[in-house]
Amino acid sequence: MPKVSPKLASAVKCSDEFNAEACMHCGICTAVCPMGYEILPRKLFRYVQIGLEDKVREHVSDIYSCLLCGMCAENCPAKVNIADNVRFLRKYINENEFNLS
Amino acid sequence: MNTGKRRIGVFICHCGGNISDYVDVARVAEAVAEEPGVVVSKNHMFTCSDSAQQEMIDDIREQKLDGLVIASCSPKLHMFTFRGMAERGGINQYQYVHVNLREQCSWAHTNDKTGATEKGIALVRAGIAKAALSTPLTALRVDTTPKVLVIGAGISGLRAALALSDMGLSVFVVENQKEAGGAVKNWGRMGPDNQLGRDIVRKLLDEVNTRENIMLYTDAEMVEKSGYIGDFKVTLRIGGNETVNLQVGAMIVATGFDPYEPKEGEFGYGLDGVVTLPQFRDAADGQEGPLEYNGKPVKNVVFIYCVGSRQKKSAACPAPNAYCSRYCCNAGTHMALCLEDRPGDLNQYHLYRDIRTYGHNETIYEEARNRGAVFMKYADDDAPTVEKTADGLVVKVKDQLLGGEEVEIPADLVILVTGMVPRKNETLMNLLKLPVSKDGFLNEIHIKLRPVETVIDGVFIAGSAQSPKTMAESVGSALAAVSKAGGLLMKGYVDLEPLVAKVNTDKCQWCDACLKACPYGAIERTSCDGKEVALVIQSLCKGEGACVPVCPYGAIDVEGYTDEQITAMIDACSREVVSA
Repeated sequence: MPKVSPKLASAVKCSDEFNAEACMHCGICTAVCPMGYEILPRKLFRYVQIGLEDKVREHVSDIYSCLLCGMCAENCPAKVNIADNVRFLRKYINENEFNLS
Repeated sequence: MNTGKRRIGVFICHCGGNISDYVDVARVAEAVAEEPGVVVSKNHMFTCSDSAQQEMIDDIREQKLDGLVIASCSPKLHMFTFRGMAERGGINQYQYVHVNLREQCSWAHTNDKTGATEKGIALVRAGIAKAALSTPLTALRVDTTPKVLVIGAGISGLRAALALSDMGLSVFVVENQKEAGGAVKNWGRMGPDNQLGRDIVRKLLDEVNTRENIMLYTDAEMVEKSGYIGDFKVTLRIGGNETVNLQVGAMIVATGFDPYEPKEGEFGYGLDGVVTLPQFRDAADGQEGPLEYNGKPVKNVVFIYCVGSRQKKSAACPAPNAYCSRYCCNAGTHMALCLEDRPGDLNQYHLYRDIRTYGHNETIYEEARNRGAVFMKYADDDAPTVEKTADGLVVKVKDQLLGGEEVEIPADLVILVTGMVPRKNETLMNLLKLPVSKDGFLNEIHIKLRPVETVIDGVFIAGSAQSPKTMAESVGSALAAVSKAGGLLMKGYVDLEPLVAKVNTDKCQWCDACLKACPYGAIERTSCDGKEVALVIQSLCKGEGACVPVCPYGAIDVEGYTDEQITAMIDACSREVVSA
């Protein structure tokens, strides 16, 4: 069972970059994404929001293969800056998984 | 009674077409014209119109009518209109009988015009039979004492006392706790405007103490009550021994609520670190700096909403609280902001069923989300669980936004957002005889139109004793109760419906069957010509009639609904059935 990591939860909360609060789970981001990821962005961001670090780690390759093309954010009706959220995740993983900083 | 000498006027209304489209109103008027006592039988397009009322008044005077039957809409709509008209025409208003052709004939039988007309004729005949046996009655006028007893010195009771005092009425406030102030007296920040609960109570109490016409009794309870609207007699016991006798014209019951106390094991209640919101507030309001619990810093807090509210019946919960407690979503989301305002970095998870932060409180919910509180919806039938593990408390919840995927949240503190339950106070309830709703809160007469009045005339209810309320809503209902009590007492007297029970002292043998049947305590034993008989206290009697059928001697009748009248009505409307 996925377990909340207080560390990720705190990092998300303190971050100005990550923000998926307004997401209404409509799925437009998935529809316009040229990559066709298995993981839905809305689901990934919900994992992040709750602080489920194990789940995030399962999807590291998806997070790094994102083109950051911004189609999703451009079309998001709730104006969630999805590309910024991906950048936040890459930074968090770099620091905590790959020990890069 | 010789009904042949009566002079009854019958007026059948078209109600535009509301009645006449389905009921042949001309035929009804014609069919009843020869009934015993009828001297006028007419139709009007709208009997409630000014011109029709004037014509009916002319008929009353010219024909010297002593009974009146109007067959129109529901008595709820126009009974008082026509009672007033009868009085203006010179007939006693209780000699007017209202027949409902619209709701009971035309609207009910749109597919059967002949049947609707026949039913209309039968109902009007019954009305005529009743009018033929009607007698003039006089409203019961009761003088009122310009003093009010407020029961409960919480927010609602104190605010009500001040408003009554503003009107110039004397007020007694009785509080059974040692200290006045009610549930809110020790509370800190409250939504939506962050005023401190204790400051609000302090201000009210300071003001109450300056008023010469308010007397506040604490550590006191009501031990005796008698009398009726306008003139209640009450005995209070103060501090366990001293007693005080009071005479008041009205009472406002503002006895408040109790917080729901979860059962052992309910959402982990009983485990170290699982507390209710009121318990948490008591502990946290006095703290400064980063949040601590039992001396340890708190990093992860989980709130669980709807604890003790909106329950479903089950083996574990045989008597569920089916209602929503209204204030808890507001209190929980507001607490999220209070926690965010503290130093230290803390993660908070709010597990809810539905968030109901209506009005101003919606912005608090929004701010809580924006500041990082995570809200997770759980399914009604799949509630979160709380367990104690070697690593501390763990809450498991199926997040609806993840399609029901189960998530484990390690928690330093679990706060159960509990609702309100009715306050238990059997002595008081036995004295006041106030009905309670199926939820156990005090019942109003009409949930929308008469929200602070009770079936006991002169006794009003206010605040969360009636149903769960926020502070603002409690004060609103307290002031509504004040306006009803003030309106009653400022006039100096009250007129009551004379449609009450009366005892035939010749027939009565005093067996106390009526006393036991009366839910309003309106029957007393008295002595009449050396014999014990029942006495009806007219101002307490509601004319409900529970005493009538239980009397083995047929000694009780209800004015306006006498056995003779009811029998005559049945005979009149069932004539064809009986003869066929």
